Amino acid sequence: MLNQKIIALIKREVRERLLSKTFVYTTIALPLLMFLIIGLQAVLFNVDEGNAKNILVVSDKATVTQQLEKDFSSNKNLKSNNFKFSFATIESGKIDSLVNARKKEILKEKLTGIIFIPSNSLKEKKVRYYSKTPNNFKLREKLSKPINKALVDIYFEGKNLSPEDLKFARSGIDFTGMKVSEKTGIQKAGYGNLILAYLFTFLLYLSLLMIGQLTMQSVMEEKNNRIVEVILSSVNAKELMAGKILGSAIIGVAQMAIWLSPVILIITTSLFALPPEIVFEISIGQIVYLLINYFLGLLTFLGLFAMVGSIFENAQDAQSGIWPIMLLILIPFFIAMALMENPNSLIGEISSMAPFFSIIVMPAKMTLVDVPLWKFIVSIVVNILTILAVFPIAGKIYRVGILRTGKKPKWSEVVKWLKYKGI
Amino acid sequence: MYALEVKNLTKRFDGLTAVDNASFAVPENSVFGIIGRNGAGKTTTIRMLLNIYLPDSGEVFFRGNKVGREFRDSVGYLPEERGLYKKMRVWDTLLFFAEIKGKSGKAIQDKAIHYLKKFDLYDRRLSKIEDLSKGNQQKVQFIATILHDPDFLVLDEPFAGLDPINTDLLREIILEKKEEGKVIIFSTHLMDYAEKMVDHLAMIDEGKIILQGALSEIKKQYAQRNVSLTFEGDISFLHNHPIVEKITDFGNSTGIRVKSPGQTQELLKLLVERGITIKQFNANDISLHEIFVELAGNEKGKEVPNA
Repeated sequence: MLNQKIIALIKREVRERLLSKTFVYTTIALPLLMFLIIGLQAVLFNVDEGNAKNILVVSDKATVTQQLEKDFSSNKNLKSNNFKFSFATIESGKIDSLVNARKKEILKEKLTGIIFIPSNSLKEKKVRYYSKTPNNFKLREKLSKPINKALVDIYFEGKNLSPEDLKFARSGIDFTGMKVSEKTGIQKAGYGNLILAYLFTFLLYLSLLMIGQLTMQSVMEEKNNRIVEVILSSVNAKELMAGKILGSAIIGVAQMAIWLSPVILIITTSLFALPPEIVFEISIGQIVYLLINYFLGLLTFLGLFAMVGSIFENAQDAQSGIWPIMLLILIPFFIAMALMENPNSLIGEISSMAPFFSIIVMPAKMTLVDVPLWKFIVSIVVNILTILAVFPIAGKIYRVGILRTGKKPKWSEVVKWLKYKGI
Repeated sequence: MYALEVKNLTKRFDGLTAVDNASFAVPENSVFGIIGRNGAGKTTTIRMLLNIYLPDSGEVFFRGNKVGREFRDSVGYLPEERGLYKKMRVWDTLLFFAEIKGKSGKAIQDKAIHYLKKFDLYDRRLSKIEDLSKGNQQKVQFIATILHDPDFLVLDEPFAGLDPINTDLLREIILEKKEEGKVIIFSTHLMDYAEKMVDHLAMIDEGKIILQGALSEIKKQYAQRNVSLTFEGDISFLHNHPIVEKITDFGNSTGIRVKSPGQTQELLKLLVERGITIKQFNANDISLHEIFVELAGNEKGKEVPNA
């Protein structure tokens, strides 16, 4: 099928686009932008608002208040977090009137909140937090441990426990994730593969969208510039489409390979030593699979993008044709993101081998859990079958659309094109 | 054997018949005109010749065989709406267009240099197309059309949008190719261009071929009762004259048709007797425009081709 003419078309596509400024910029700028966005998100999430948080700790039992005051003032972790605590003991049942009395301060955010630790919390460990923004998870997370410790101390005081017993009772639970996999046995799981899963998902998503849009634009350029007619006097529409899509797919895979080259270097050489928490557990075979799978996925999606490009004359009109393709990229993107929470979900399992979806979902899945070889093979076969199903349709529409000018066609007309005898 | 033979081509689009059972033959080494109004079906016909459209029915034969890849590679095509890749360099553009015709290598590069020099574009060979003037872009397109040394030149409305310099340049190319023994097929709605350049033609109207053959034969056939006249004076007396069938004013000249072939001399005598200053009296002459109007009519709403 690959003849000299298609190769000439591929060469032109690759040369013109690989050497273009757009390619250089996007290859460098896109990952930077991505990390900037992720980094910014992390920063926004973790940075506490600059002002100190004034928190009033209240109990209706003096011993509790005293214990908390003692513990909090010696707790380095709390000090470094910009908290300012004040302590008060009230009569039992007076918490509502206290809150009402301080209401104005709370609403003006002079007082961040009131933590009420009633005396019966020594039985039930129930604590209340009064604030303008009561669902502050960070604050809960930070304070629940020291409060628990204080309550435990008071509870066991005078009960003649050994220091070991007390230490045990005070301590919370420390979860350690242990990854069970076929190859390496059981070992402590790091964050490395979670990072990889994010990386793969974002890069595949961005690259598919970008290469897709560029290919569509390039089809529209040929159509609008009327170059297509000269070219079609030399090659047929199928060859032109094949050359364009293969050329663009090569560019996409090259870009992906450039983006993944740091990962490849990390796993194949000892040039970069990563801390044990973020060791990448991925084989070079899996990276190769990712690139092959991406290539097949690009062929599928570029077929669709080229089809849409051939139907319309400008990007605005083309929007109505792009959104179904966008959904086919967005849905697997979100499925892949959801996999980070639950790598074994049924939807993730199915979509890692489903047409269109496996391109983004499978790379995320394979970094998070062990995927048997047969599933990789199934995903590749499914992708090849998808190409075989998409191209006869996309090709027919492309063939008609590329030579058509004038008003924006209705979808019912586009369906009719499928029946045209070789325009 | 004809260079190209078109048999019963038909093409419909959504119920509209663009080309209706068209047949014509293009002899070897001819300049062949496909002539008709805008929208008559010229471009669709040309696209079918080139296999850009497949006909609904009918066939095209290239030297006796059905057209296919071989024909495609031996054609240089200049479409009506010309276009190039804007961001591509002149040099890359030329080599690319030759390569998709299956031609590459040193010989083509030398040829490209030859044409670039000939058309004063050699200094611009590394410029991007978008940086060239429109006229120079057209020149690049001409070179791209002929660089692979095609046996056939197919030109769709080639003179539309050309400046006078490029018009002359293109005419030169056409004549040069004819001298090299090539076949040139071009479509036009400009009758006087056609009349000056073609030796064979097919006239197309509403998708149907209404006339075809050698220009000289066609003229002979239609001109027997026709006189082309350039004069000074008043010839209104000829209206309703018993020997005159029709008078058509073309501005520079006037076409007069007499009722039977023998009456042209009688007409001349009549004009002299009436003291009309005759500058040119051309019996047995008829313009393509007149033939076209006679065949395709001049109904209201129909655009009449330029004379």
